[in-house]
Amino acid sequence: MELKICHLFPDILNLYGDRGNVVCMRKRLGWRGIDVSVSEVSIGTPLKASDYDLFFIGGGQDFEQEVLLEDLKGGKTAEIKAAIEDGKTFLAICGGYQMLGAYYKTWDGQQCDFTGALDLYTVGHKDRMIGNYMFTCEELDGQTVVGFENHSGKTYLGSGIRPIGKVLAGYGNNGEDGMEGARYKNVFCTYSHGCLLPKNPILADHILKTALTRKYGSADLAPLDDAIETAAHAYMERRLAAK
Amino acid sequence: MKKIRVFFAVLACKLARTAIRLLGRGGTDFPGRLALKICPDLLGELAKTVTTVIVTGTNGKTTTSRMIEQAFIDTGISYFANKTGANLISGITAEFAVHSTAGGKCRFPYAVIESDEAAFKQVGRQVNPKAVVVTNVFRDQLDRYGEVTHTLNNIRIGLQGCKSAVVCLNADDSLSASLADELPNQVLFYGVNVPIYKNRVEEVSDAPYCIRCKSEYVYDYVTYGHLGGYRCPKCGYARPKPAIAVEEVRTSDTEHSEIVISAGGKRYETNVALPGGYNIYNAVSAMAAGQAMGLDLDVVNKALSQFDCGFGRMEKFDIQGHSLRMILIKNPAGCNQVLNFLTASTEPFLFVACLNDRAFDGKDVSWIWDVDFERLTELGNLLSGVYVSGVRADDMATRFKYAGVPAEKLRVIKDYSELCKAILAQDKPAFIMPTYTAMLDLRATISKNYGVKQYWEK
Repeated sequence: MELKICHLFPDILNLYGDRGNVVCMRKRLGWRGIDVSVSEVSIGTPLKASDYDLFFIGGGQDFEQEVLLEDLKGGKTAEIKAAIEDGKTFLAICGGYQMLGAYYKTWDGQQCDFTGALDLYTVGHKDRMIGNYMFTCEELDGQTVVGFENHSGKTYLGSGIRPIGKVLAGYGNNGEDGMEGARYKNVFCTYSHGCLLPKNPILADHILKTALTRKYGSADLAPLDDAIETAAHAYMERRLAAK
Repeated sequence: MKKIRVFFAVLACKLARTAIRLLGRGGTDFPGRLALKICPDLLGELAKTVTTVIVTGTNGKTTTSRMIEQAFIDTGISYFANKTGANLISGITAEFAVHSTAGGKCRFPYAVIESDEAAFKQVGRQVNPKAVVVTNVFRDQLDRYGEVTHTLNNIRIGLQGCKSAVVCLNADDSLSASLADELPNQVLFYGVNVPIYKNRVEEVSDAPYCIRCKSEYVYDYVTYGHLGGYRCPKCGYARPKPAIAVEEVRTSDTEHSEIVISAGGKRYETNVALPGGYNIYNAVSAMAAGQAMGLDLDVVNKALSQFDCGFGRMEKFDIQGHSLRMILIKNPAGCNQVLNFLTASTEPFLFVACLNDRAFDGKDVSWIWDVDFERLTELGNLLSGVYVSGVRADDMATRFKYAGVPAEKLRVIKDYSELCKAILAQDKPAFIMPTYTAMLDLRATISKNYGVKQYWEK
């Protein structure tokens, strides 16, 4: 088996530790003897989405956003939309998550149009939502996911989009409706930036399995010794549960 | 009325500090906050008669300050400094207060002050320094500062308050060099004209796009991170020519660097007493500060080879015949630079990382994934082991597992006493990299168990 990963805009959407998610996927596939290739596609390079099985998009700073939007319009948006409808797996985080939505409106009313690949939108807020947080995932049999969020945008989901989980501690999408992230077909979106996957190995494997199943019809992932990862997860779970 | 408030604020600050030290702690934050409650513009009042140099920027503040201090000592200048890394408005105010008379008159004519970038907004205006050094701007603790452009903006606001200061800027850093725009002050650029490392670690650039027009920069060379000879092909913004420049890097090993600095038409052969390319930058920025303060550059140059290194900045400890080096870490850029020189090591060593996530460390620990720890793994047998500790030890262990450190070399030891024992039980020199509060805890343990002095006793 082989999985082809496309890391989109790695030089711009790389805010605090996002590359850790790619490192994690690469290792967890490698340890199981599954071949993996990671291609970096950034500004100015055309994207041929049919070449890949899994797409990773990280979070970025506002400063570079304009450069990015210009590039998306030049063909990448159409490729991304087609790949999503085709059932390709996506993991999009924070800024990357917002980018898959329809638009971002700043708190003083200026609207910035995004890809519109998913029916969701984001409204800027003066106060940032920052801190360790935790949510439960139904599709992970109620297991918790722990992470760190740092965003000023409040995201609201449209009718066809499910959340990825329910917030147990922290803010999540908007700090109002108790929802976190977004799910549509094989797209996974979350505000948990940085090293989401390494300390949530169950989620990591679930995403990898989704991509492999889409490609090969079925996939069984051999269990790994996750003692270290599980300890990191359990520590934060305990700490947030005690709050 | 003002005099009375100053009097009580200074008194309260001194009493609080004495009380805290009698309790055996080294706190500097609380006394300052107390004083500021009583007299909010206390810092401005106390700094009036003091000729001050302020060092701010993301990385290198403490080391650069120590270098400038050594130059002050060698020049025979009577000064004080905020030595313990208390670099917020509260800590800086406390430092001025304890060095002042009850009437609010500072007992020293000069001061070397390092200031946190966000705090510099206020500190700059109140202190009105003679010189400011901006070391660099990197991504750092996004949970506190937000984006790098916010940090840059804080520094810009601070500089606008420093009406009479000579401003020393890093020409190689496209972010902080841009601070010269629209600044009426005299600006002194410093920089490194040549590459430093043959084989750099992999790191993400914190500023790939032009600060003015957002086109991608072209680099003639990179020293590390986003530092180097950049130019924007579209709008023409480019590295300014530094007045004080490193022309040659002759050697750079795990103990020191030998470089040649040119300034004012003269060449200075410089021996930097600390290893690593980032200390070459600290050295050249200290030379710029020396020039801005009107010091004799021959004296500054000599000071660079013999200064007392900062609290947790490559600090050497000898415990029971074991060599320990402590290097404070706080962000990927700084940590990657430490790896840059560690990977040049030819002797086996033990690597120890202590990761905390309190406010002073940065609450978000995900930056450890931006550090190229994979380079340590590539050292093979030169890396004798990796011990991890701190509040987030398990996250650190996860990072090292994914960096490829073999399970038998990786140990999680959460208790600091046990950690110290384990370090002393093996025979390799140890490089310990703690975050800020982890360093305080670890030092307290070392002090208690092995009798090494605490920082406020020095």
